[in-house]
Amino acid sequence: MIVPFNHVLVLSGLLFFLGLFCAVVRRNLVMILLGLEIMLNAAAVAFVGASLRWQLMDGQALVVFIIAVAASEVSVGLALVMAAYHRTGSVDPRQLEQDG
Amino acid sequence: MMDISLAAALTGLLAPLLAFALIMVLLRGRPHLCAGLSIAAVGLSLGSALLLLARHGASPNPLEYSVQWMVSGDLAVGAGVFLDPLSLLMMVVVALICLLVQIYSLGYMAGDPGLARYYGFMSLFAWAMLSLTLAPNLLQLYVFWELVGLSSYLLIGFWFEKYSATQAGKKAFVMTRLGDVAFLLGILLVLAHLGNLGIREMNTAAVAAAFEPSTLTVAILLIFGGIVGKSAQFPLLTWLPDAMEGPTPVSALLHSATMVAAGVYLFARLYPFFSLSPTAMAVCLAVGTISMLLAATMAMVTRDIKQVWAYSTISQLGFMLMGLASGSYFAGVFHLTTHAGFKALLFLCAGVFIHHFETNDMVAIGRAGGRRQLIPLVCMTLAAAALAGLPPLSGFFSKEAVMAALAAQPNPIWLGAGLLGAFLTAYYAFRLIFLIWFPDRVSAETAPENTDAHGHAHAQPRWQVLVMLVPLVVLALPTLGLGGLQTHLMSFLAAGLTGPEPVLPHLPWLPLTASGCALAGLILAWFEFGRRRAPRIGFAERSAFWRSLFAERWYIDRFYRALVDRVIDRGLARLCAGGDRHVIDGAVDGLGRGTVASGKAVSGLHRIMIQHRLGTMFAVIIFLALYFFI
Repeated sequence: MIVPFNHVLVLSGLLFFLGLFCAVVRRNLVMILLGLEIMLNAAAVAFVGASLRWQLMDGQALVVFIIAVAASEVSVGLALVMAAYHRTGSVDPRQLEQDG
Repeated sequence: MMDISLAAALTGLLAPLLAFALIMVLLRGRPHLCAGLSIAAVGLSLGSALLLLARHGASPNPLEYSVQWMVSGDLAVGAGVFLDPLSLLMMVVVALICLLVQIYSLGYMAGDPGLARYYGFMSLFAWAMLSLTLAPNLLQLYVFWELVGLSSYLLIGFWFEKYSATQAGKKAFVMTRLGDVAFLLGILLVLAHLGNLGIREMNTAAVAAAFEPSTLTVAILLIFGGIVGKSAQFPLLTWLPDAMEGPTPVSALLHSATMVAAGVYLFARLYPFFSLSPTAMAVCLAVGTISMLLAATMAMVTRDIKQVWAYSTISQLGFMLMGLASGSYFAGVFHLTTHAGFKALLFLCAGVFIHHFETNDMVAIGRAGGRRQLIPLVCMTLAAAALAGLPPLSGFFSKEAVMAALAAQPNPIWLGAGLLGAFLTAYYAFRLIFLIWFPDRVSAETAPENTDAHGHAHAQPRWQVLVMLVPLVVLALPTLGLGGLQTHLMSFLAAGLTGPEPVLPHLPWLPLTASGCALAGLILAWFEFGRRRAPRIGFAERSAFWRSLFAERWYIDRFYRALVDRVIDRGLARLCAGGDRHVIDGAVDGLGRGTVASGKAVSGLHRIMIQHRLGTMFAVIIFLALYFFI
């Protein structure tokens, strides 16, 4: 294994915090969805690295599931964003709250 | 023999209770039946009292019938009857005066809508007072002491539609309670040290060993507090004049002859116990003296006939306490007995005038022709002479006994105060008598038919007049003759006392001096109120300062009013209200407000914008992770 497992975990952590930052800070529903995707991918990277580290296929199998879940999540999420846009006329989450 | 005595005592005690229960529960609607029942019950009490006196009058050993009422550890409190010369004498006095006053009330209270209630309360009082008299231990005595106070409250406020009467009842109750609290504390102190409240046990000399001398003094003074309240002594004396708001027979029975004398009776009952502490005796002597003189000065300026006798009651009770506290058991009890007779007579006579002329003002009674009421006026003059201590009436002998005890005191100030009291007493008593005998303007003589018309306007049936006059004549007899029984009574009472009565030196000049003082008072009263062209204004009334001082009862009432206003209303009550408002209300309100505020804060959390929620969630998870894994 050329890349040490620790480095994989650091990358995964960085990705996760990027996604977290994006999801919490950007005032845009689409960007929140994007942040979620990035966090999912960070988890997937950690799984792949672990699969390589222990020479087991379980991690890779799980990643396939994650990708499937992420795809469905994006489709549902985008549909919700569309619904929110129709209600409030913007994709700003603050508008959603004030309507509340 | 034992059984007959016990049965007689119990019958005498319980008959009035039965009458009270029957009247209050069943017979409220039939006032005449109530009156008859009540009189019959108290007559039965008098009969049994006389029977007991006849059976045990000669025997020196006191009888005690007791059952255990309450046992806790080594404390035992009994309930029962205690028959000794003192309690027998008091029982006869109480039952006799109760009977006479109840008969008198038939006339005085005729037609009153509350007649049934009146007789119910009178029976309650008779029961409580007789049981108090025969109580074998302090706790039982205390229970009936309070019941007597209750019936006093009920009877003072008998005409409860009159605001002043309800106020007076309340005042009497609260002020005597104040003394009773001290009394109760004293009882507890005795109980804690002695483990026993029996009167016989307390009256042995061995009691002194069970107490520290200072504790004993405190216990005695606390018990004396109860006496001060009940007998209206200084400083709790102002309730008694106000208690005159009640019907006059009630004043005659409760507030002169019997109930207020219960305090003095308690002193006599515990006389050996009290005499264990010379300090306490000195305090009692001082309190008695102060009350006697203060009340006598108050009586000099009032024009209300009942008030005069009320003040004189306080004064004479103080005089009895002086006799007891200066070491003469016999003098105090003898004066108590004679006083009960002539003071009840004074009140009943006053009641006749008040009933007839419908005013309490002695000047108005005199002007309206008070002297046409010959029998009451003669009786009242006799009783007033007895009150003043003029020979050969009963009061002369008993006063002389007290004076002899005072003369035996090392300090002559007590005798001086006693003689001054005798002078003042004669003065105020005859001021009243002369104002009625010799009014300044006699409307009755200028228009004699006026009185007759007045008398007929009442249209009182003849039997009612008679029923009011007979008790007067009956009471006049002991007033005339009780003095002759002095030696008999002395040997009778001495039999009940454990310690020997101190032999007082016979002072031949003393009776002369005492009756001379009384005579001086009488002559002064004659010069100011009796003779032709008399100024009809007393020496005490000339100066505005003294008049207002005496009429305002030495400002004692004002002082209490101010004390209650300043210290209790504005001080203590305000402090408590402030504490309630700020501390307790504040705590409860704060709890409520805190709940609402935290609820709002928490509700803000879930109504927050979605990204903040997300951020919070992550922060929590991160911190949890830090907590658990590092």
